Amino acid sequence: MGCSNSGAPAYGEMSWFCCGASWGPCGSAGGGACGNCNSGSHQCAWPNTSTGCFDITRPDQCGENLSRRTCGHVFYVTSQCGGGCVSVSIADCGPDTNRFCGERTCCGSACASNRLIDLTPSAYSAIASLSTGLSPVRIDS
Amino acid sequence: MPSPDRRRFLSSAVLGGTAVAGATALGSLAPETAFAAPKIDLDPGARDPNFAEGRITAISGSLLKVSGSDKALHRVYVTHGTSVWKLRPTTFDEIKVGDGLYARGVKMPDGALAADAVWVNIVNLDASITAIDSGRLHLQHNGKKVVGHVVSGTTAAVYNHTPAISDLSGLQVGKHVKVIGAWRPDTNEVDVATVYAGI
Repeated sequence: MGCSNSGAPAYGEMSWFCCGASWGPCGSAGGGACGNCNSGSHQCAWPNTSTGCFDITRPDQCGENLSRRTCGHVFYVTSQCGGGCVSVSIADCGPDTNRFCGERTCCGSACASNRLIDLTPSAYSAIASLSTGLSPVRIDS
Repeated sequence: MPSPDRRRFLSSAVLGGTAVAGATALGSLAPETAFAAPKIDLDPGARDPNFAEGRITAISGSLLKVSGSDKALHRVYVTHGTSVWKLRPTTFDEIKVGDGLYARGVKMPDGALAADAVWVNIVNLDASITAIDSGRLHLQHNGKKVVGHVVSGTTAAVYNHTPAISDLSGLQVGKHVKVIGAWRPDTNEVDVATVYAGI
C-alpha cells in the first residue's frame, strides 16, 4: 500500500512530539506507550492504539471514527501542503484529539480538522517544517 | 526533503568547501520548497540518516558539532541555503553553544550532515495554562511547570483556524494549548512563538 492509494484515507491535522532520549522539556518524554519511541526514527502516535489509549484521546467525541491500530502498524502520511509523504510506525498513544474538537488547519485551500496523528521530529520534518506545529495531512493505512 | 537539484547543490557546496562562503543561486530555502518532495524512501520506524538532534557542543566556522541525546555525535554543516529557525526564522550567528537542535539535510560521504533546515531550541508543548500574568504564560506540561515568555512582536496566537494574531486575550486559565517556542537552555522556560488554542 503506497502513500495515497488506500480506499479509506483519513484527513486531519498532524503535529509532532518528541520521545526517547531528548533535550529540554522533552527530556522526560520516555519511550512512549510502545516503549521504543525515538525522535530520530520515523514513528508516530495514534489515538486508538488500545482501549486505555482511546479512553483518553476520544476521537469519537470529535466525530472521528478511527480504527484500532497497535504498536508497529504502518501509516503513510501525506502533507496537504507540500505533497511530501512519509511512512511511520506506531510507537505511542496520542494526540489528545478531544481536547481540540473542531480545530481546523489550512494550507492554502487545503484544510483539515481535528488532531489525528503526531509524528516524531524526524518524520514530521521530512514533509513539513517543525515550526509550523500543525499541518493538514492525508493518512493512509 | 530537498529536491534533487538542491540535494546536489548542498553536497557540492560542502564538499567544495564553500559551505558559507558565497550566496547560492538557489537562494535561501523556503519551507514550502524544502518539504515539497513526493515521498521519503525509508523503512517506517527506522532511524533517519538525514536527521540529527542533540545539543551543540562547538561551532567551528559553518560546522556545528552536536552531541546527540542518544550519545551519538553529529557534524552539521550550515550553508547559505540552510533555513535557520530560532524562535523565528533567523541567521546562523544566532546559534550558540549549548543550544538544542533538530536538523534535516543530506548525509555526506564523510558522515556529516549538510543541513537544509535547522530548528534551534524548538519545542512543541501540549500543555494546560495554569496562570497568566504580565508577559508570561504558566504552563503544565507532562506534569512539570514550564514558564512561557511572551515576546513582543513575535508571539502570536491561533484560535482554532483563525490567522495568527498578537492578541493573547483569548487565552484562558485551565484551557489546553499547544505551544511552539524556543527553549531557554538549561531552564524550564521557553519563549513563545505560537500558541494554538481552541475556542
